[in-house]
This record gives sequence, structure tokens and C-alpha cells, in this order.
Amino acid sequence: MELADRAVGFLLSFISIFIFTYYTFWVIILPFVESDHFIHKYFLPQEYAILIPVFAGVVLLCLLSIFVGFVVLKSKKKKA
Amino acid sequence: MKHVLKILTILVAISAFWIGLLQASIVPRSHTWLLPIYFIVSLGCYGLLMVGVGLMRFPTCPQEALLLQKDIAEAKVFLKQNGVDVGSD
Repeated sequence: MELADRAVGFLLSFISIFIFTYYTFWVIILPFVESDHFIHKYFLPQEYAILIPVFAGVVLLCLLSIFVGFVVLKSKKKKA
Repeated sequence: MKHVLKILTILVAISAFWIGLLQASIVPRSHTWLLPIYFIVSLGCYGLLMVGVGLMRFPTCPQEALLLQKDIAEAKVFLKQNGVDVGSD
């Protein structure tokens, strides 16, 4: 079973490093590159650099509050 | 000092640094506006990385698992002899 754990851990760290380098490139390096460079093809327009994290944060908050509400309702139903 | 005070001072220092950057205009303006979001995203990434690294390095101690199973069996026998119901097997 430790192989499955190791694979999941490796996948998580790989995803996090990928997101970090992609976002760093997007926000910090890309504005300094001229608009004709081919690298701009691989990156979405710059407004999405703000929209996607904000959207993900809002979705995370919603899911957390839904979970908290669910647990509170379940405990109240069990007590009554 | 309490932990929450330390975190608050770090946050105040970072926001003061950010406002200073805005005023001094060393870096281009649009860059400076994106910096807080960038820090939050990189903090989330760092947390995910720590979880992944911890998962990869988690020790399983197979000998301790065997000893624990032996202890459990021993305890079950002892309790059953003394009349305590040990439940599912």
C-alpha cells in the first residue's frame, strides 16, 4: 500500500509544482515578453490569471460552507 | 507572544511592503496589483507540495505493525478468559 501512497504524493507534488511554475510564468515573466513571441500561444489571456484563482477560491468557500451546513444539520437531526 | 499576533504582524508587514511598492513605482503598476493574488496562489501551492512530500516520505514500520497485531491477539485472549466480550473477530 505504500506504493499507492507514494504515487498519490508524487502526483500531488507534481501538480503543485506545475501550477506554481505556470502561474509564475503567467503573472511575472509574460508581461515582459514582446507580443509576437510564440510562447504567448501556450498561455491564456492575462485577465484569466485573476479570474481563475478568484473563481477557485469562491468555489472552495462555497463547498466548505455547504459541508459545514450539512454536518450541522445532520447533528441537529440526530439530537432531535 | 501569541501565535495569532505573529501571523497578524507578518500580514501587516507584507501589506505595508506592497503599498510601498505601489507608491514607489519601481515595478510596473499592473504587476504590483497582481502580487497579492500571486502570493495566495503560491501559498496554496506550497501547502499542496508539503502534503505531497509528506505522503511520499511517510514511514510504515512493518515490524511495529506485526508487534501490534500480536499485542491485539494477546489482549483478546486475555479479555475473553476474564469474561469480557471483545466484539467482532
